Amino acid sequence: MTQATRRQIWSLGGGKGGIGKSLLAAALGYELGRMGKRVILVDADLGGANLHTCLGLSPPEKTLGDVILRRVDRIEDVVIETRFPGLRLISGASDFLGAANIKHLQKVRVLSRIRSLDVDIVILDLGAGTAFNIIDFFLISDVGMLMVVPEPTSVESGYRFLKAALYRRLRAAAPTEAIRNIVEAAGDPKNGHGIRSPLDLLASVSVEDPRALEPLKREMAHFHPHFVVNQVRSDEDAKVGNFLVTACARHMGIRATYAGHVRQDDTVWQSLRQRRLFAVDAPQCPAAEDVRRLARSLVGGENLRLGWGS
Amino acid sequence: MALPRGNHYAVLGVDPDASADQIERAYRHLMELYSEDALATYTLLSPEEVRQACAQVRQAYGMLRDPVRRLEYDARHGFITRPGMALDDSESSSESPPDTPGPAGADASTEGQKAAKEGPAVLPEPVTGAALRRFREERGISLREVSDVSKVGLRYLEYIENDRHAALPAPVYIRGFVQEYSRVVGLDPRRTAEAYLAQVATSSSDA
Repeated sequence: MTQATRRQIWSLGGGKGGIGKSLLAAALGYELGRMGKRVILVDADLGGANLHTCLGLSPPEKTLGDVILRRVDRIEDVVIETRFPGLRLISGASDFLGAANIKHLQKVRVLSRIRSLDVDIVILDLGAGTAFNIIDFFLISDVGMLMVVPEPTSVESGYRFLKAALYRRLRAAAPTEAIRNIVEAAGDPKNGHGIRSPLDLLASVSVEDPRALEPLKREMAHFHPHFVVNQVRSDEDAKVGNFLVTACARHMGIRATYAGHVRQDDTVWQSLRQRRLFAVDAPQCPAAEDVRRLARSLVGGENLRLGWGS
Repeated sequence: MALPRGNHYAVLGVDPDASADQIERAYRHLMELYSEDALATYTLLSPEEVRQACAQVRQAYGMLRDPVRRLEYDARHGFITRPGMALDDSESSSESPPDTPGPAGADASTEGQKAAKEGPAVLPEPVTGAALRRFREERGISLREVSDVSKVGLRYLEYIENDRHAALPAPVYIRGFVQEYSRVVGLDPRRTAEAYLAQVATSSSDA
């Protein structure tokens, strides 16, 4: 594991806000740092950044917004030290820049700057919703995590997020204008093609232009989201991730993985109210235990996937 | 919304060489996936789609849970490579079930491959009810599950395991019950039933 030198980007999205993404990102970064990884947390929620608060920091002066608006030369100039080993932060806090206001070129540039960071793991904490500027951060990551809580609204948002992300990727892979139009139409729930899932989309494509099927299928095979179920209150809740994986495979053709769950734990908000991180305050609390397990399994899984020795 | 397409194995999401136990687990997992108000499907599928998905799974399971019908199905669809394959259950107790992929996604399908390489088990004689129970319990299968799958009444299964031969019906029924029991727990149905009946005959002549 120590020879893992390739820098990895992990992202944490969720479609729905208020389900604990930033707290989990912070705790995951903390645990990875404790495991000896060099980690930078990036608050990519430009409209509603609060990762600094989760880490007990005041709103930093330099943020990702300064990189996007070219107020600083290098992305390293906005990296902030935390008081935790191995863990640094790029804040997103910015009153003048909503995620919706980034232009395409600015985004491409900031993504390439993030890729250039000299660390082991970059964790992108994504904002809520399915805007392209959020999805594109998800799509560049090596490990795309999707957080849901065991509630119908959250699961619905999660599926919507996955579909939006996959269609975005398929659109880029569409070999012809006609196919691109079908992919774009698929993103509209009221499309006239009767497309309600990526599998429906493939069926439409095979009618329109069978040769286009292979490149799209290849893209789908590479789309591999990792579910994280948060605020788990029972064994039943913990099993939801397994059912999400099955449902994705059967009804959407998406090959997902269940990365793990984090139990509902009052310690989490008790610590947050004191602007402290639960994983630091109460390392033995159930949520901290779960985050540790999640961190280990994600690191282990990636080592296997990339063929790293240990 | 698209439903899974293809043969019965694809519908259950298992490999064609899946053990009886894997098929059973896949079926239960899917029935739970499509149960009323299940979170993973509630917003994804309409009630009509859920009904269709359930019907499809039941049909596949109905065919594959019955070893004889499964053999016929396998032969018809070119899945069969070796007689007895469909009855195998010998290693499944040590595997993770398909409905609980491990952290970071242990791939269930590759783990599933190794189960179906040996034929069903044969118990050393004499085959008593106690020997059957021991074999079943080692595999973590409850008598209730045997009853649910085999459709043999729980009461009769208890009589068989407790060797209460007087309470059991005529040998022709006992043979059928023990065969069904054997299929569920992964024993050779024909040889187990014969050995058990021999044991019944011995004990009644002793009495």
